[in-house]
Amino acid sequence: MSAILELENLNYSYIDGGYERQILQDLSYSFEEKQFYTILGPSGSGKTTLLSLVAGLDTPKSGRILFEGKDIKEIGLHKYRRNDISIVFQQFNLISYLTALENVLLAMSETDNELPKDRKNVAYNLLERFGIVASKADRLVNQLSGGEQQRVAIARSLASNVNLIFADEPTGNLDTATEKEIINIFKDLAHEYGKTIIVVTHSDSVSSMSDQRVLLRDGKLTKL
Amino acid sequence: MNFIKRAIRNVTRKPSKSILLILTFFLIGNLVIIGLGVSNASESAKILTRQKMRAVVSYKIDYNKVNDYVMQLTDEDEINRFYENYPRVKLADVAVLLQDERVRTANAVNTNMWYSDKDNTLDFVHLNNQVEENMGENGQSCWYDENNVQQCETYKEPYFLIKGNMFPSMIEFEDGDYQIVSGRFYTQQEIDNADMVCLVSENLAALNGISVGDTITLAVSYYSNWLEQYEIAEEELESGFEVIGIFSHNNPITPDAPNFDYIYPYENPDNMIFMPSTSEYMAQLALSQKQFDYFARMYPEESYYSEDKRPSMENMEDNLYIENVTLLLDDPMNVDRFVEDHQDSLSQFTSLDANNEEFNKLAKPLDTLSIYANFIVWLVLINAIVIITLVTALTLKTREYEIGVLLSVGASKLKVIGQFFIELAIVAIIGFTLSIVSGSLIAKTLGNKVLEYQIASSEIVEENNYYYYYSNGFDPWSTDYSTDITLDDLVSEYEVKISPLIIAEIYVLGLGIVFISVIIPSFMIMRYNPKKILMNQN
Repeated sequence: MSAILELENLNYSYIDGGYERQILQDLSYSFEEKQFYTILGPSGSGKTTLLSLVAGLDTPKSGRILFEGKDIKEIGLHKYRRNDISIVFQQFNLISYLTALENVLLAMSETDNELPKDRKNVAYNLLERFGIVASKADRLVNQLSGGEQQRVAIARSLASNVNLIFADEPTGNLDTATEKEIINIFKDLAHEYGKTIIVVTHSDSVSSMSDQRVLLRDGKLTKL
Repeated sequence: MNFIKRAIRNVTRKPSKSILLILTFFLIGNLVIIGLGVSNASESAKILTRQKMRAVVSYKIDYNKVNDYVMQLTDEDEINRFYENYPRVKLADVAVLLQDERVRTANAVNTNMWYSDKDNTLDFVHLNNQVEENMGENGQSCWYDENNVQQCETYKEPYFLIKGNMFPSMIEFEDGDYQIVSGRFYTQQEIDNADMVCLVSENLAALNGISVGDTITLAVSYYSNWLEQYEIAEEELESGFEVIGIFSHNNPITPDAPNFDYIYPYENPDNMIFMPSTSEYMAQLALSQKQFDYFARMYPEESYYSEDKRPSMENMEDNLYIENVTLLLDDPMNVDRFVEDHQDSLSQFTSLDANNEEFNKLAKPLDTLSIYANFIVWLVLINAIVIITLVTALTLKTREYEIGVLLSVGASKLKVIGQFFIELAIVAIIGFTLSIVSGSLIAKTLGNKVLEYQIASSEIVEENNYYYYYSNGFDPWSTDYSTDITLDDLVSEYEVKISPLIIAEIYVLGLGIVFISVIIPSFMIMRYNPKKILMNQN
């Protein structure tokens, strides 16, 4: 299996109360394709910061992030976010005045990736695959339950036809049953659809279901 | 889904916010329409009135300039020399103005009262009024001499008003007040050659059986004692003129005309005869020369009577004393611009007058109204920009999360700004569209009330225009071709209408407000960091 995402000597720090706080220190790691990863770590270890860096939402102080062997800076962070990755957040991050279907179509409209012509049907099918039937797909997202909203968020992350999906505490707001459902979806995405899933979590139950568990501690990633 | 669709959905799915914004734009729209409507009505009234006025510009001696110049002279001889060579309008300068394609023609008119030859072969068109009944063949002009003894001179009553022009057309004919019904107007060549040609009225032609090509004999006016005093024979005062054109006119004198009984034959437009000024001058040249010779003998030391000043065709322009030339332009709306364009290149002591002093005075309430209305428009627009900018900027804070999501899925910041612009534009268009209906109704009522108030508080004193003889204001002697207007003329043209142009203006202004209002929020968006937004949310 080849690496889809490589981190080379990443350093990240910020000033907190007049002192420089080093979050990531010479962090290097390689994520292989078609795998479901969970990144664990204590609170304040820098999990979310790491996610924002690999998702192209922020830039490291030094070091390189390579997507399919190419530095994401060279790809362009905006283009990288649009065409190469998608993110699932704990708060779902759906747009409230759009329906579930429209939220999925939004991701399709922004990407440059090749997509089927009949986008609306593809979006309906995608939502249905994650348990959102057509009648619910046409509802505004704030009329859906938390679990349903997270499914919509996952459907949206797949809509732009990317191979790398990040998730930040995706089950943090969900009950245990729904959490299990969502994690199974991630597993399916990795194993059946060949996507690489990197989930940041502090939940042992989530990490126990992943293919690979990685610990972030003292600014470095270690395979568990 | 592109940003336009998102914008439409945001507007339609957040009705309370959209209605509030629509209401804001509706109120702004009403105020802007009222302002624009009133301002436009004021401007339109001025333009429509101006268009009704004759497009004339006077090129004349500027007596203020002359006075200012003389006032700063201290040497008596210098002052005398200046008066001896008093400034005149030069035809060469007029020729330069005539090259401007906006000029249709010019009137440099000299007027005389003449009569037929000594055998009265040419009869005048009669009005059969009191003046004609009392008029003998001769008139008398009397005065008291230094010994308080009454002196009288007799003169033959003139019948015809001679109007000569230095240019081969006249304002009267260009404007259609007079029309050629047969033959033609005189040419530049005939003016230059002082050809003895003329145009007579169709009534005069009919009365005397004159056709184009016939020759009529006219005699210049004189006092009976001049024949002996200036040693001139009566025949020398007569000239034959070929009739080259016959005209009709729009100024018939009817018995119900005011002062009908006091109208002299030469004041009847039917007895008006048009000819080149040079021909008119030529016909009087013998008399002018003999008068000059007489005074030169009487006052041999006077420099005024030096040989070089003896009237001749060569020094005709000096002897015609042209002080005012009226130019007819192609469009009344070009008058001010024409004056502006040529004002700086005029000869010393001359000026161009757009003849719009009275118009400007009367238009003052409309101007004031227009200024107030424009002020309101600007005030509303500035306030609207501030309000909408603040509303948008404050709304932005509540939409940070949405912006973060959009940026995280790869939407560009420009598209996010575009979405905000479209959202505001939609509500602005709806608000302004609704305001067009109500704004027009309010503008009409309010506009008229404000004008009434403005006129009442302006204390305009209209000049009591003195119409020479006739109810239609026709004055045979006048060289003032400007049109008299009244405040009623202006007010009657004032109508607050919301034209398609104003509607277009409203939408352009509305979109302008939206565009400017989005600028500051746009800077805020450009500075947004999706990580910060999303991490804060999570």
